[in-house]
Amino acid sequence: MKECIQLMAALLGSLGFGIIFNIHGKKLLWAAFGGFYVWALYLLFQNLLGANDYIAAFASSALLTLYAEGMARWHKTPVTVFLVSGSIPLIPGASLYRTMNWLMGRHTLLFRRDSVYTLLFAASMAAGITATTLIFRMIWNLASRRLGKKA
Amino acid sequence: MTALSNQDADKYLYYAMEIGEMMLTSGAEVGRVEDSIRRICTAYGASRVDVFTITSSIVTTMYGETFSPRTQTRRVSGAQNNLLALDQLNQLSRDICARQPNLKELERSLNRIKCGKRYSFPVQVLTNALTSGSFSVFFGGTFMDMIASAIIGILLKFFEAAMKRGSSNGLIVALLCSSFGGLLSNLAVFIGLGQNADMISIGNIMLLIPGVAFTNSLRDMFSGDIITGLVRFIESVLLAMTIALGFTFANFLF
Repeated sequence: MKECIQLMAALLGSLGFGIIFNIHGKKLLWAAFGGFYVWALYLLFQNLLGANDYIAAFASSALLTLYAEGMARWHKTPVTVFLVSGSIPLIPGASLYRTMNWLMGRHTLLFRRDSVYTLLFAASMAAGITATTLIFRMIWNLASRRLGKKA
Repeated sequence: MTALSNQDADKYLYYAMEIGEMMLTSGAEVGRVEDSIRRICTAYGASRVDVFTITSSIVTTMYGETFSPRTQTRRVSGAQNNLLALDQLNQLSRDICARQPNLKELERSLNRIKCGKRYSFPVQVLTNALTSGSFSVFFGGTFMDMIASAIIGILLKFFEAAMKRGSSNGLIVALLCSSFGGLLSNLAVFIGLGQNADMISIGNIMLLIPGVAFTNSLRDMFSGDIITGLVRFIESVLLAMTIALGFTFANFLF
């Protein structure tokens, strides 16, 4: 039940950020769905497969990138449109805030714990996105060159 | 393509820089900006193009057989994510590579993109309410917390619009907005609307905190743009510190 509410909130939150980022029309709906999709994957990896936060972030943002690359080719638009709005629920905004909040309150130990968490979480996401982008483009280019030769 | 004279080369380079600058301010990655400028200049007949871009500057030199080397620089400031404009600029630069439109046509399409669609202010206000409410529930707030967060989201949008008219410094606007948001969330709990001040304010924090910029800065560094990544990283950490300071200040008062 809690997960269902969270998924709905992820969908609506991504929709909101899609509007803030000035996405219009059908693309807005698909961008918002990206948020739902990525959070569903994250919960799946964490609860059913027992992955830790970092692995779950890496894997779900890697799969989000595949979704975004596919959507971008379908809608003929830059990948960023679907990637940025889709990754919103995963973005460690809350823990970035918490980290700085500990710093302001001079809770050194909590600050150290949360700053490592935030940095590693964001790095896992960034690694997932970058690695998938590079590998996807490499395969795409090879495949289209192969197809181009045949035609 | 006819051979370019020095003056023509300057004009085309000017429009290529214009497109690059607009892409950068509407949220494109540095790599995409460099790539687009290079492709546009090559499409108009340059034999070699060197582009260097960081978040706040673009430098381009283009070489060709019929003109002497041309260099232009841009100081880029201010960025807001405008993915519609990015989409249209991307289409424009593809169009340029395909059929090299002339200067008049270029100017017309750029102007059309500049005054493109934006969501109206009332829609933006409602979006703020929607987003704040959603994230307050997302992080475990109750139904009343969601209502309180949505109302504060609406007030924050008006406050932010007023502050932005007064000051162009992003940090000071963020500091004032977060103090105001923190005060309101404590006030909401005080009068009995909502139970947890931190759950109410986390919805508002998500609107202010540069989480996307923080993650993108690491992405920039992973893909080789170290300088851009570092600049964005420090920018977002500073902004996050300022926001935390604002909320801490508000909590301190209560």
